Amino acid sequence: MGAIVLQVKNISKHFPGVLANDHINFDLRKGEIHTLLGENGAGKTTLMNILDGIYYPDEGEIYLNGKKVDIRSPFEATKNGIGMIHQHFMLVDTLTVLENVVLGLESQGFYLNKKKIAERIKEISQNYNLNINPYAKIWQLSVGEQQRVEIIKTLFRGAKILIMDEPTAVLTPQEADTLFKILRRMIKEDKSIIFISHKLDEVMKISDRITVLRKGKLVGTVDKKEIKQKELAKMMVGREVLFRLDRNPIRRKGEVLKIEDLETHNDKGIIILRGINFSLPGGEIFGLAGVSGNGQTELAEVIVGLRRAIAGKVYIKGEEVTNLCPKAITKEGTNYIPPDRLKVGLVPNLSTVENAILRRYDREPISRGIFLNYEEAAKYTRELIKQFNIMVPRENAPVKFLSGGNLQKLILAREIREEPALLIAVHPSRGLDVGATEFVRKKLLEERDQGVAILLISEDLEELLMISDRIGVIYEGKIVGMVDIDDANINEIGLMMAGVHKNPLLKGEENVKV
Amino acid sequence: MLKFEKRENIPLHLRILIPLISILLGVLIGGIAVMFSQVNPLTVYKAIFIGAFGSTYVFSETIVVAIPLLLISVGLILVFKMNYWNIGAYGQYIMGAIFCTYFALNSAETMSRPILLMMMCIAGMVGGALWALIPAALKAYWKVNEVITTLLLNYIALYILKFLMYGPWRNPRSFGFPLTKIFDLNAQLPKLISHTRIHLGLIFGIIAAIIIWIIIKKTKFGYEIRVIGENEIAARYAGINIAKNIILAMIISGGLAGLAGMAQISGIIHMLQIEINPDYGYTAIIVAWLSGLNALTAMIVSFFLGGLFAGASQIQITMKVPIGIVGLIESSILFFLLGGAILTNYKLYYKGRKII
Ligand SMILES: Nc1ncnc2c1ncn2[C@@H]1O[C@H](COP(=O)(O)OP(=O)(O)OP(=O)(O)O)[C@@H](O)[C@H]1O
Ligand SMILES: [Mg+2]
Repeated sequence: MGAIVLQVKNISKHFPGVLANDHINFDLRKGEIHTLLGENGAGKTTLMNILDGIYYPDEGEIYLNGKKVDIRSPFEATKNGIGMIHQHFMLVDTLTVLENVVLGLESQGFYLNKKKIAERIKEISQNYNLNINPYAKIWQLSVGEQQRVEIIKTLFRGAKILIMDEPTAVLTPQEADTLFKILRRMIKEDKSIIFISHKLDEVMKISDRITVLRKGKLVGTVDKKEIKQKELAKMMVGREVLFRLDRNPIRRKGEVLKIEDLETHNDKGIIILRGINFSLPGGEIFGLAGVSGNGQTELAEVIVGLRRAIAGKVYIKGEEVTNLCPKAITKEGTNYIPPDRLKVGLVPNLSTVENAILRRYDREPISRGIFLNYEEAAKYTRELIKQFNIMVPRENAPVKFLSGGNLQKLILAREIREEPALLIAVHPSRGLDVGATEFVRKKLLEERDQGVAILLISEDLEELLMISDRIGVIYEGKIVGMVDIDDANINEIGLMMAGVHKNPLLKGEENVKV
Repeated sequence: MLKFEKRENIPLHLRILIPLISILLGVLIGGIAVMFSQVNPLTVYKAIFIGAFGSTYVFSETIVVAIPLLLISVGLILVFKMNYWNIGAYGQYIMGAIFCTYFALNSAETMSRPILLMMMCIAGMVGGALWALIPAALKAYWKVNEVITTLLLNYIALYILKFLMYGPWRNPRSFGFPLTKIFDLNAQLPKLISHTRIHLGLIFGIIAAIIIWIIIKKTKFGYEIRVIGENEIAARYAGINIAKNIILAMIISGGLAGLAGMAQISGIIHMLQIEINPDYGYTAIIVAWLSGLNALTAMIVSFFLGGLFAGASQIQITMKVPIGIVGLIESSILFFLLGGAILTNYKLYYKGRKII
C-alpha cells in the first residue's frame, strides 16, 4: 500500500454543548479506501468538514504529504487536492452538468470555452466509466447520476483525495455497486478515498482500512482483513448487535388501508401511478419494494394527502379519504415518515423542541388555550429524546445542527409516538447507524404486534425481507408482484424490481389474499 | 473566500455595535455628499440631531413620527415572519383613514367622545383589514403573488381617497381645496402630553408591539406562522391550515396599518385630505427589517427612524438645504443600517478566518 498522503493529528472541534471531535488521529494512504465508521452523532461529518475547510478545528494539525497545511475554506481544500461529496448534493437543478462543473471555478475568466470543458468532462467520464452527458440538465438525472456529477466536479478540479459522506444512503443496491466499481477504478489511478457508511456489509466489501469513532473519540483503526463484521459493530456501538430479529406470528385485524385504482402525477406532471390496488390490515407490515422513481414516494404522498390523486380511491378504516387535507387524514390515525427529512419532515431553523411538537402543539397539555406551553413541550421533547436515544446537544438550538441520523431519529420518534393506526414509513432507517437501525426495526415490529398497519417503502431488500409480512413490488407505477414473506425469494423480487419478471399471482388482483 | 454562516443567537454587543457602526458609516458617506453642495456636513448633522432630540418639542415630534411607524411595522413583522410580503400597508393605512372619517363626519353630534373614538378605531382597523383581506384571499385560495396585488391596491386606495376628496367629501367651505371640514373635538384623539402633538396612538403602538411579540413567541398561531415561514412543505405535512393563517395574519397586519391611518388623521391632521403621509407604509417595511422582525425591537427602531425623519425635516426648514440632500442623508444611513443587519444575522468569514 502507498505512502501516507493525509495525516490528521489531535484534531478537536467543539460545538455549543458537545465535543464533536476529541483529539482525533487519522491517516490516509495513497490508493486506499479508508472507511469512517461510527454511531449517529459520533463526529464523522464534522471531521470531514474540517478536512474540506468548512469548519476550522479548535485544536490539532493536518498534514498533506508530510507538509503541514492550514485549510480554511473549501476553496483551499480544492487547491490542496481535497474534494468532498456531501450527503445533500450541491447542484443547481436547472443548470446542465457542464454549467454545474464550472460553477465556482476561479480560473475560467469571462468567456467559457464550453467545448473544451465538455471534452474534459467526457474524458473524465470515460476514464472512470461515469457515463454522464455534459449537456444533460441536473433535474433530468437520477440520484445516482447526480452523485456521479459530483464526482466529476471534484475530479475536474483535480482532487487526489475524495471524501464521500454516506454516498450509498440514497442509492439502490445496483447503483451502489456501480459506485463501488467507480471507486475501485479511482484508487487504481492512485487517488485516495475516505468513505462514510453505516452499512457494514458494504464497508466490509469496499474498504482497505476502517477507522471507528465513538462519541467524538477515536476507538481505533483496523485493517479490513483482520476484522469481522460483528466485531466491527461491537467496536462501534460498544455492545453486540443483532443482525436477526425475532418475529411473533402475525395476527391480522380488520382492514386499515385500502387503495383502489390509484393514479397520480409526479412533480413534472407525468403520470407516475397507473392504477395501484392493495389492501392492508392492522397488525401487518406490508413492504413495498421498488427502484426509486417508480412511484413509491408519490404513493405515500397521495395517501397522506400531500399530493392529489387524479383517479382512484383511498380508504382508511373503511372511510374514503381520497384527496382530503393532511390534517383530516392524520386525524384518521395516519402518520408518515417522509423520505426527505429536512425538506418535508422538519423545519431546519426552528429548535428541536419546536420540531418535536409538530404533531402535538394543538393538543393538551402542550396546547393551553391559544398559547403554547413551552414547559410541557420541552418535557415531551425530553421524553422522545430519552425513549429513542437521540443525541441533542441543546434542545433550543436550531434542529439543523443535529447529525443526519439524529434528525431521522427525531422524526421517527415523533411519528411513532402518535400511536397511529396506519404508519407509512419511507426509508425509515436511512442514515441510521446499526444500533439505531436495529432499534427502529424492533420498534416497527412492536407497533405491528400492537395492531398497527405499516406500509414500509424501502429500496433496501434486506430490510424488507427482515421485517415485512408481505412484499409487493412496484414497477412503473404498478404493483407487478406480491408475495407472502414465507414464499419470498430475493432473486425473484430483484428481477421484478427491474421489470423483468411478473408475478403470475397478480393476474386477478383479487386473488391476493390479505 | 468570503463566507456567511447564519448565527444561532446574536450576542448583545453585536446587536448594539453593528447598528452604531452602520450609522456612523452612513453619516460619513452622507456627509461627503453634503460637502458637494457647499454646506458643512458637521453643521447639517448637528442641526439634524438638534432637530430630532434637541428640545422637548422636537423630541415630541420624533415620537409623533414614530407612532405610525411602530403601529404599521409590528403588523408587518407578523406577516413577514410567514414569508408573506405585504407591501400594501400604504393602501391599508389610507383605507383606515377613510373608514374612520365616515364616523368623524357623520356621528360627531350623536355620539359621546369615547364611543365615537372607539367607533373610529374599529372603523380604521376594519378598513385596513378589509383592504388586506383582498390580497390575502387571492394568495390563500388562488396563489396570486402578494407583492403585485398589495402594491397595486395601494394605487387604488389612493384614487379612492382622491375621488372622495374631490367629490362627495369635499368641504363646500374649503374654497375648492380637497379637504374635509376639521373634525369636531369629539373625533380627535386626546393628547397624552399637553403642548405637544403626542396623542393616544402612542399607547396603541406600544400595546400592539407587545401583543404581536406575545403572538409570535408564545401562541400556537405564532408557532404556525413560524413553521409556515420557515418551511411551507413541513407546514402542510403537519396539517397546518396555511390559507387560514395567511388570512388571519393579514387581517391583523392590515388592521394595524388602518389603525395607524386613523390615529394620524384623528390625532394629528384632524381632517381628511389627500396628503396624509401614507408613505409611512413603506418606511415601516424598513423598520420591520431593521428590528430583525422582533416587535419589541421595533419600538426602538421606530423611535430612531422617527428622529431621523423629524430632524431631517427640520433642517430643510432651518438650513435651507435642498430637499434632495435631506433624502440623500436619510437613504445613506438606511442603506448602511440594512447592510449591517446582515452581519447581525450572519457570521462573516474571510478565508476561513472569522471576522465578525
Ligand atoms: N454546525 C453545528 N453546530 C452545532 N452542533 C453541531 C454542528 N454540526 C454538528 N454538530 C453536533 O456535533 C455532533 C457530531 O455531529 P456529526 O454530524 O459530525 O455526526 P455524524 O457522525 O456525521 O453522525 P451521522 O451518522 O448521524 O451523520 C452532533 O452532536 C451534532 O449535533
Ligand atoms: Mg453525518
